[in-house]
Amino acid sequence: MTEYQNQLKLQSHLDGELSEAEASEVVSLLARDPEAVALLAELRQTSEALVGFEDGIRLPESRDFFWSKIQREIEGQHSPAPERTSPVPWSARLRRLLMPATGFAVVALLALVVTRETGSGPAQSSVETSLADSGALVYHDFSARATFVWLAYPADDEFSEEDEGAGFE
Amino acid sequence: MRCKLFPTATLLWHIAVVGSLGASVSKAQGADLKFQVQLVWATDDSRPPTGKDYKPVEGGIKSQLRALKWKNYFEVKRIDFTLAAGSQKRVAISEKCELNVRDLSGSNVEVILFGRGKEVARVKQALPKGEILVPGGNAPNETAWLAIVKRVD
Amino acid sequence: MTELDHSSAEDPALVRAAQSGEMAAFEELVARHRDKIYARAYSMMRNEEQALDLSQEAWVKGWQRLAQFQGESSFGTWMTRIVINLCLDQLRKHKRQRTESIEEMSEESGGVERQMPVVTPNPTAGLERGELRQRIDRALGQLSHEHRTVLVLHEFEELEYKEIAKVMGCSIGTVMSRLFYARRKMAGLLSDLKKENWK
Repeated sequence: MTEYQNQLKLQSHLDGELSEAEASEVVSLLARDPEAVALLAELRQTSEALVGFEDGIRLPESRDFFWSKIQREIEGQHSPAPERTSPVPWSARLRRLLMPATGFAVVALLALVVTRETGSGPAQSSVETSLADSGALVYHDFSARATFVWLAYPADDEFSEEDEGAGFE
Repeated sequence: MRCKLFPTATLLWHIAVVGSLGASVSKAQGADLKFQVQLVWATDDSRPPTGKDYKPVEGGIKSQLRALKWKNYFEVKRIDFTLAAGSQKRVAISEKCELNVRDLSGSNVEVILFGRGKEVARVKQALPKGEILVPGGNAPNETAWLAIVKRVD
Repeated sequence: MTELDHSSAEDPALVRAAQSGEMAAFEELVARHRDKIYARAYSMMRNEEQALDLSQEAWVKGWQRLAQFQGESSFGTWMTRIVINLCLDQLRKHKRQRTESIEEMSEESGGVERQMPVVTPNPTAGLERGELRQRIDRALGQLSHEHRTVLVLHEFEELEYKEIAKVMGCSIGTVMSRLFYARRKMAGLLSDLKKENWK
């Protein structure tokens, strides 16, 4: 049987992952080793058999039903319009009480205070992430007020300070 | 009753209100922000590893981690630090992992997670008091590590 | 401003409309790509219910992250990556509960994929498309999560080795071994299935 490294090279050749030099090595191997030719044919057949496999898979729910679930979820979890409920009663009361210019200034100042102190503002629904780890996931548990950034790479003993093993990179 | 105030007194009162609000805003804007990072070990084991005296995380935090499926969470390390408004700080949570926390405007923060010096993830979001941001990942033996970032004050 | 005709609009126009908060535009995008997203989830998870849940979750995430979509790839590709990441995350959670690991399995198999006789002639030749699909479906279901994921990412998502390695958090060498094992195992399974059919 063709040795394992050569078997992997045959596969890489099929997948177009070899450099020009390596590809010519594989061509030479194929010229002298009928087993290699047969193996390459098998790998190719398997690959070709899979073409279009997913095209036949259909979501087993109607458009409306599937969408209604998504819509419900979106509306339940996500509030596109930032909630600015807390300043409103204050500003409304103050506007009625104070002269327009003074009232305006108070509203602006209150908005600053509230944004700084409670965080209710546009940013609450806007989270920006940039993940060098493409397998990472960001999950917001709105009810628990928690955002999880789950990294793809196992962080072996990341919590252990004395450990020298592999960490996520 | 408000409507019975004299115009001059009303004006003076307005000035006093705006002045005191302005002072409190300027104090809030310039005040230092207190953050806490907890390095947590998530496990189904009921006890920390032998020889370690990790304490279980408090109930409030555990409840905020309910989206995760581990039974127990032990605090490995806790780091408290203060940020001046608009500044940033890089804290080492383990030998290989660091967090850079930067105060943005409002209650927004930018948290950059570094693994062995390389940036792994960058998150910008509001982190008001009471909310937590949890970078984490799987660890051996079906456990996980979490770095819980929260604003203390 | 003229109103966008959703059914005839191109994806980029629908994406822009959805980014500005128009949910009807997003609904049209869901309708267009939902089979593809579900199919990818199904290929990876091999479970209809999980695939439905994950594809639904992917669409919700897609909406939440829509502002981040800058059009570097097609919208369909972007959504596919979201569902793949969700599936990978789910599979990792499952892995925590499984006793076998890929390493243990490889040890047990003793590198059997290297020794397997080559399958000739092509076991899938002459099969009707529907029949072939069923056989592939069954064969895919017999692969481990890790092997199937590599196969799906390579054959269906058309990712290069290094991209798969990055997504799965393993080395390129591991990707090559897993892909080789998965293909050889598939060839063997398809061949067995054909033999079964002859009985």
